[in-house]
Amino acid sequence: MLNPALLTALGTVLPAAAILTAPEDTRPYECDGLTMFRAQAGAVLLPETEAQVVAIMKLCRAARLPVVARGAGTGLSGGALPNREGVLLSLARFQRILAIDPLARTATVQPGVRNLAVSQAAAPYGLYYAPDPSSQIACTIGGNVAENSGGVRCLKYGLTVHNLRRVRLVLMDGEVVEAGGTALDGPGYDLLALICGSEGLLGVITEVTVKLTPKAQDAKCVLSAFDDVMKAGDAVAAVIAAGIVPSGLEMMDRLTIRAVEPFVCAGYPDAEAILLCESDGVPGEVDAEVAVVRGLMERAGATLIEVSTNEDQRARFWSGRKAAFPAAGRISPDYYCMDGTIPRRALAAVLKRIAELSAEFGLPCMNVFHAGDGNLHPLVLYDAGRPGDVEKTQAFGTKILELCVEVGGTITGEHGVGVEKLGDMCVQFGERELERFQGVKRAFDPEGLLNPGKAVPTLHRCAELGRMHVHRGALPHPELPRF
Amino acid sequence: METRAPVRPDPGTLAELVRKLRGDYGERAVTSQAVREHHGHGEGLVDSALPDVVVFPESNEEVAAIVRLCHLALVPVIPFGVGTSLEGHVAALYGGVCVDLSRMNRMLEINASDLDCRVQAGITREQVNAELKGTGLFFPIDPGADATIGGMASTRASGTNAVRYGTMRDNVLGLTVVAADGRIVRTGGRGRKSSAGYDLTRLFIGAEGTLGVITEVQLRLYGVPEAIAAAVCQFPDLASAVNTVIAAMQTGIPVARIELLDDVQMDACIRYSKLEGFAIKPTLFFEFHGSAAGVREQSEAMQAISDEFGGSAYQWAAQPEDRSRLWKARHAAYYAALALKPGTVGFATDACVPISRLADCILETKADIEQSGLTAPIVGHVGDGNFHLVVLHDRDDAAQRERADALAHRVSLRAIGMGGTCTGEHGIGWHKLDVLAREHGEAVDLMRAIKRALDPLNIMNPGKTVPL
Repeated sequence: MLNPALLTALGTVLPAAAILTAPEDTRPYECDGLTMFRAQAGAVLLPETEAQVVAIMKLCRAARLPVVARGAGTGLSGGALPNREGVLLSLARFQRILAIDPLARTATVQPGVRNLAVSQAAAPYGLYYAPDPSSQIACTIGGNVAENSGGVRCLKYGLTVHNLRRVRLVLMDGEVVEAGGTALDGPGYDLLALICGSEGLLGVITEVTVKLTPKAQDAKCVLSAFDDVMKAGDAVAAVIAAGIVPSGLEMMDRLTIRAVEPFVCAGYPDAEAILLCESDGVPGEVDAEVAVVRGLMERAGATLIEVSTNEDQRARFWSGRKAAFPAAGRISPDYYCMDGTIPRRALAAVLKRIAELSAEFGLPCMNVFHAGDGNLHPLVLYDAGRPGDVEKTQAFGTKILELCVEVGGTITGEHGVGVEKLGDMCVQFGERELERFQGVKRAFDPEGLLNPGKAVPTLHRCAELGRMHVHRGALPHPELPRF
Repeated sequence: METRAPVRPDPGTLAELVRKLRGDYGERAVTSQAVREHHGHGEGLVDSALPDVVVFPESNEEVAAIVRLCHLALVPVIPFGVGTSLEGHVAALYGGVCVDLSRMNRMLEINASDLDCRVQAGITREQVNAELKGTGLFFPIDPGADATIGGMASTRASGTNAVRYGTMRDNVLGLTVVAADGRIVRTGGRGRKSSAGYDLTRLFIGAEGTLGVITEVQLRLYGVPEAIAAAVCQFPDLASAVNTVIAAMQTGIPVARIELLDDVQMDACIRYSKLEGFAIKPTLFFEFHGSAAGVREQSEAMQAISDEFGGSAYQWAAQPEDRSRLWKARHAAYYAALALKPGTVGFATDACVPISRLADCILETKADIEQSGLTAPIVGHVGDGNFHLVVLHDRDDAAQRERADALAHRVSLRAIGMGGTCTGEHGIGWHKLDVLAREHGEAVDLMRAIKRALDPLNIMNPGKTVPL
């Protein structure tokens, strides 16, 4: 509970209905997609205007109160986990699409606008917003910026950072800053890139301008089946090495295929691995690329190759991939979703090692991931009710992340660090790098009031924390496919 | 905390430092007037400021040792590639140690199957592409000059094919940087994605050496396209040429380069390169990358759009020799511009606006040039909304130089007023410090705070990029 004087002051800024303090009101905000960590904030605030955000920040700073910003709460690393001593600032009411400039191909929106809503608003102009995290029907643009979200299409069209033009940001002292611009690169330090992926530690985003992409005239998806995961891994490497940049290159292993097929009836063949490789562009280009991909798949030893001939079929090919997470929830009481990135050529070797670890730990592991950019999402299946499973799962997870770093990769491809991987940051970065991170933080938020205890560990706190555990599918937004 | 104001180190400190550097690096620590002069300026406006000593390190550790010495002695450090920057980035405004990275020019590794490579910062982009010969890969960023990769990263260079491949911001995966305290920091990595920690890689990119010395760069590579085709088309007026570009970007044709030359520049090119078959009209040059069928398709789509806007004499070429004939005019544009008025010098402006404002911005600028009475041909990487004026003026005529500066200043302000930037690719250096504040407002405070946090003693390339 916040001190009454501060609540009174907040009451002059916000209407009473926008200040939630009763435990039953703040409970829905107690966690994000990482449900293992829960905390109730002293107050949940629901501002609607930037001026209100500015006033809130000034009050909180004067009171030395931590502030945690939150979008839709679909994050997977606990970035929006409330701070018990502080306030949770929900941006859910910032829902307006402010402008679409079809010529400049930009959209300016408030941070609470959903990812998919941007594409829907741009559709009449033949444009869309390219980054497509699979929670895109629910996750917000503000959250996407905070986490530097990716998705299937980011292999060709880039992450959020590549599709971001400008943000307005309220700093902890209430100052409003704009970073970036609507033209190409602006001069000076790249504040936009610093803010993107900063997990709410640098400021509260109040407005975002994103780049829109023209819809491709044509798109075709090649589905290839393999009798060996290693062959599929090599096929991925062959596609990339051929200089092809597909608009999606995704892989599923046998366990995944068997989990999704009865669920969505995508028509997948029974195989050790399936690759989905999509080409988009002008029709001639697409056909040429599809022909090359087909040849590469044949050479890699694919047992079956199918090319989508119409939009329905293309959507069906993708349906199983998009349903992989909910399908995991159907076959196992609990699963733990990992997120690491490796150089693509290490793919086959890493998959092999994961299979060995799976046998060692006696825990099944579904492999489903953005193969094209080497972003793994191994799903470790376990049962929290079985003694020792949780510990084994965590140990398995740590091994996988260590393996990623060992081959030159990183501990998180797109889900962020949050509270989940704070400890793992010490595996990835040394003291020198962490010192620079702290320097950046000091420049924006010298008192450390924004989202404390997340994303960047303090030097003396490089300790192992926890990971994402999903019990009986009890996720917020369980209907969302996640990967 | 206040930032330490940059000061010229006192002679005693300097003498001691030079003595140490000589001891450690022998012949590779140089104080001769000629070498210092060569390192005191880039290209563009020649406003020279000499470093006190130039050192040629050969490893990350040597760079770190040099920076540590400077850190202790409070002496400025100015990183230097090959000196092709345009806004005075390498001028040693407060003297100090110039760190010339030209001996760190090795390709460290090529990961062909991952489409990346790691280089030392002193390698030039042409050397990179020479090293990549035979791998079927290339590094596309082409700012014109054969700059070093470290310099290109530091100035966030782009160039003619940014419209397809992006800028240095999009094509650097990771860095090794010697920070202001002399510690070696590694950022990013080989993975294509990472959401771990703040994006230090992009913070150092474009920081113009004010936060650290970039010593190694992990670059993203691309497959050499199966086919490359070029095309040229002429237009009755500037507006129709620019509107053609806007329409092309709108339809999503993946053009690799689109360059605009206005009538004055075409006139210059026709005379300089002795071109035949071209009229003195605004002209667009295109390049397409893709499969053989794909480039033909792209070109046909482009021609259809050009026709709509009154384009004429659309020429298309897929053979290398025909392509280079078509593009010859564009490649020699800068020298052709200078040849318009023998005896004059020129400097380049660098406005960049959202493409929806490009027509307005170019047309207003064109009228402005005419009113100014100066000769200033326009060349633009218009697919990105970026265009340059080469403002010709007589160096010895103070009044003319003033008019030229005023014109350039108006171009910057016009671009900012239209939601754009005064520098699409050349950077701030120290020539454009004043406009940065105007463009970024409150955000400049934040940039200052970052500078203070990462270089509290203000020894890294002081006096540049961020006004203190």
